[in-house]
Amino acid sequence: MSLLMAIFKMTCKDVYPLISEEMDHTISFSRRVRLKMPLAICNLCQAYIRQLQTLRNLARNLGKENSQAIEKKTLSPDTKEKIQKYIKEKN
Amino acid sequence: MSEETLEPEKWVENYADMLYRYTLVLVKGPDVADELVQVTFFAALKSQHTFAGKSTEKTWLFGIFKHKTMDRFRSSKKNLNLDITDADADRIQFDTTGHMTPSPNNWNVDSEKATENKELAQVLAKCMNGLSEKFHHIFVLKEIEGLSSEKICKEFNLKPTNLWVMLHRARNQLKLCMESNWLTKE
Repeated sequence: MSLLMAIFKMTCKDVYPLISEEMDHTISFSRRVRLKMPLAICNLCQAYIRQLQTLRNLARNLGKENSQAIEKKTLSPDTKEKIQKYIKEKN
Repeated sequence: MSEETLEPEKWVENYADMLYRYTLVLVKGPDVADELVQVTFFAALKSQHTFAGKSTEKTWLFGIFKHKTMDRFRSSKKNLNLDITDADADRIQFDTTGHMTPSPNNWNVDSEKATENKELAQVLAKCMNGLSEKFHHIFVLKEIEGLSSEKICKEFNLKPTNLWVMLHRARNQLKLCMESNWLTKE
C-alpha cells in the first residue's frame, strides 16, 4: 500500500485538496488518475469524502424553503412594527 | 383550485420570522439579516403586479428574497477582499508522514441520512457563522445557493484555483468545528 502511494508520490496531504476540488468541478484526467489510486486503497480518504458529502447535504438542506433545521430565532418586534407600518402606509 | 392572492397586511405575521431565520443562514450577523428581511418586504410591496397567482404567496416572497440576497452578495463584493491571506491558512493538521490528525472517521452518520438530522444542521449553521466573511460568502454561494464554480469566479473575479483553495479550507474549518461541537460529544 505504501509502495503504491510512493509510486504515485501522493500523501494523504496531497489527496485531500483534490477530493475537495473534485466536488466543485470536473478535474483534469491526469489529476483524476492521481486521485483514483489513493482513493481505492485509503480508508481515511473515503471517510474524508463522506464527511464532505455530509457537509454538502446538510448545507443544501439548510437552503430549502421549508427547512426545519434553522433555529427558532425571531425578528425583533421593532423591525416587525416598522415593516407593518410601511405596508399599511404604502399598500 | 382557487387562485392565490396576496395579503400584504399579513406578511409580517406569516413570514417575517421564517424569512429572518432563513436569512441568518445566508448572511453573517443579525443586523444584516434584519435589513434583508425589510428590503424583501419593501420590494415585494412594490412588485405585487408581478404576482400571477400561479405560485403560492410564500414561494413568490421567497423568490424576491432570493433575488435581494444575491443583490446583497453582489454589492458586498466591493468591500470584501478575496485575496488569500495568512489568516486563511488550512486548520487541518498533518503528522510527519502526511496523514491527517486526528484521522477522519465516519462521524457515525450516514451522509445521505444526515439531511434528516435537524440538530446536526443547526450545528452546521452555527459553525458557518464562525467562518470569516469571505469563506462564509463563498461556501453559501457554492453549497446553499448552488452556484457553479465558473459563475462564482466570474461574479467575484476570482481565479479558479483560489476558489478551490478557499472552498477546501472552508470545508475543513467546518469539519473541525462540527467535530468539536457535536460529534465528539457521544
